[in-house]
Amino acid sequence: MQYLALIYGEEGRWGALSEAEREREMGEYMALSQESVTVGGNELDSVATATTVRVRGDETLVTDGPFAELKEALGGYYVFECETIDEACALAARIPAARHGAIEVRPVHLDPEGEEPS
Amino acid sequence: MKYIALLTNTAEDRERWETMSAEEAAAARAAEMPRWVALFEEIGPHTLDGKELDEPATAKTVRVRDGETLVTDGPFAETKEQVGGFFLLECEDLDQAIAIAAKIPVAERASVELRPVIEH
Repeated sequence: MQYLALIYGEEGRWGALSEAEREREMGEYMALSQESVTVGGNELDSVATATTVRVRGDETLVTDGPFAELKEALGGYYVFECETIDEACALAARIPAARHGAIEVRPVHLDPEGEEPS
Repeated sequence: MKYIALLTNTAEDRERWETMSAEEAAAARAAEMPRWVALFEEIGPHTLDGKELDEPATAKTVRVRDGETLVTDGPFAETKEQVGGFFLLECEDLDQAIAIAAKIPVAERASVELRPVIEH
């Protein structure tokens, strides 16, 4: 099974950390990235760079900003390949943002082209 | 430029699928399938990855506070639109990503959020 771990945290926090704290957290992210169970992941640019697209009737509506305004912003994700959601949650608990924000863990359908995605 | 396209869906949309009979759901999927096939053909060269997620009710949210791991059932936030999947796109610019996003069927029912990916 694959699980998507969506990483939510406060965006301003990183800038407020000391150099040593940043290095330690970056080390934790890198270590998790190198685990064999980690099969994907990316860091996203800030919410200020988000663009949301909706189509209503024949009109394409493009707005600046994320689809939902939240106190904690989606900052990135990992994809974990593991047996159970509990294992995925244990990996998620190692993500530094879990200590101040939250990680949402969701099962992935492995055949995205064979099913209606919504 | 790499962009993440977050595909969202709404509770109404998910309920609409749940309340359909198996035959109705199969017919609805079949009706929309040509659009998805055309989309995959068109965006294939731009698509580096793509995942469809299980519904929000299957989510668990993990927090660590004072060394203790707290796992709760459900998504991180109870928003009207919820992430239902994503594409990782390689595009020339934001305009190209927007043009692709507008062709994804969920853009008509909910939304597609585009975010640049930070390349390390």
